Amino acid sequence: MNSARSPLPARLVAAAGQWLPPLIVAAGFLGLWALLTLTIYKGKGFLVPAPQDVAAAFAENFAVIALASLTTLREAAFGYLIAIALGILIAAVLSQSRILERSFYPYAVLLQTVPVVAIAPLIVLWFGYNDFSVIIISLIISLFPIINNTLLGLQSTPRSLVELFAMHRTNRLATFWKLRAPSALPSIMAGLKISAGLSVIGAIVGEFIIGSGGTQGGLGVQIIFAQGRMYTSLLFAEVICATLLGFLFFLIVTLISNALLGHWHESAS
Amino acid sequence: MNTAATALDADATAPPRPRGGGVPIELREVWKEFDTKVKALDIVNLDIAGGEFVSIVGPSGCGKSTLLRIVAGLLAPSGGACVRATNARAAFVFQDAALLPWRSVLRNAELLMELEGYAAPDRRQRAEKAMQLVGLSGFADAYPHQLSGGMRMRLSLARAMALQPDLLLLDEPLAAVDELTRDTLQEELQQLWRKLNFTALLVTHNVHEAVYLSTRIAVMSPRPGRIEKVINVPFAFPRAPELRATAEFAALTGQVSALLRHHAVGGAE
Repeated sequence: MNSARSPLPARLVAAAGQWLPPLIVAAGFLGLWALLTLTIYKGKGFLVPAPQDVAAAFAENFAVIALASLTTLREAAFGYLIAIALGILIAAVLSQSRILERSFYPYAVLLQTVPVVAIAPLIVLWFGYNDFSVIIISLIISLFPIINNTLLGLQSTPRSLVELFAMHRTNRLATFWKLRAPSALPSIMAGLKISAGLSVIGAIVGEFIIGSGGTQGGLGVQIIFAQGRMYTSLLFAEVICATLLGFLFFLIVTLISNALLGHWHESAS
Repeated sequence: MNTAATALDADATAPPRPRGGGVPIELREVWKEFDTKVKALDIVNLDIAGGEFVSIVGPSGCGKSTLLRIVAGLLAPSGGACVRATNARAAFVFQDAALLPWRSVLRNAELLMELEGYAAPDRRQRAEKAMQLVGLSGFADAYPHQLSGGMRMRLSLARAMALQPDLLLLDEPLAAVDELTRDTLQEELQQLWRKLNFTALLVTHNVHEAVYLSTRIAVMSPRPGRIEKVINVPFAFPRAPELRATAEFAALTGQVSALLRHHAVGGAE
């Protein structure tokens, strides 16, 4: 099994070189946090709880947090996946004609500029106090970066390549699949990365608005509960979980992106 | 003063027509104005015999690329006509090589045949032969970003050669490669042209390149572009690389450069 790969110690050193710097930053941040709770915020755990208190709150409420995280994960994932399908489809249609783009793109921009927190109550009014409303809110907030980046990618095919395909009388459909779509892929992936975190934010905002509705609810609901009880260490633990959820989405998209683009595009690493 | 008409007269004084093969091209009173009312090309007349290698030299912005795109059928002239056999197979070679970065070298070499609807086994066979022709045989599974600038251009040539074109249109194909590679590629291009019997039309601003490769050189003046003079290049084929060091070669390049300078100054008045 003596392959061409470098020996194990060398690979460990290489891995350490990659992981050590961010770990050092994390350790420094934790240290600073602990220091603050021992000095300025001493005895004010309701404002800034100590790291170990957050860890304890996490352990104590593990079942609740895990269930809430799964709920939020499910809502955000649905919102995100629908946003991907819808966003790419809308961009593909808009890219086919200048008139279509001029007519509809401004309204796509509205998706971005309308404060989602402001229309969330309206969504709830329309669709009810349920997961579906949360998914819609997550979808709305994730949609625009996907439309925008996909459209940008579809429209920035290098001119010489477009001319090359025109030279050989390639029809619109073949040009789209063989040229425009693959050359837009790096841009599409960039849009998906932006929306990965947004979809979780959308789900949490949605949960804030719908509240518990009698059920246990997602992280957004639990965060409101913790705030109401002044249980700040639990609040911290839940915020960290929500953050990690967005990070998880981002990580998955990055892995997919690297698998798709790794052999030809420089954005993959 | 040189006009388009005298350029045609110069053309009548027996240019060397080396061999048959390739498709003749006739540009009759072609002119081009863009939507912006910018006149890119004044009236251009040019007769190219089958199998000739004609270069168009001129300062940037003189419309030489526009002229090439009219011959390619990528642009319609505002007036006049470009006459060539309708069943002629034309291939275009771009300055930036215009490869698909997500396709392997072999799949890039197959691209134009794929667009033209060749059967897959035939495609594969022709692509492999064309890659052999330009010395890329060992790189079938590599990706364009792994190739040097010179090799990318070789692949671009192989892709065109695989079509067995009657007409090869080259838009400053060697402008972006280093000088040493450029000399080698010029020699290879000459060999391909001699071996495969196509008509070549090369746009360049490199006078040495034009003199080394061409049977005739059309010198253009800037804004609006006009062919000021057509110069015969008397050197016999095959042309050895050493030709570039001879006094006759220097005299001819000097003559073309002087013409370019003269008209560049004239155009600025």
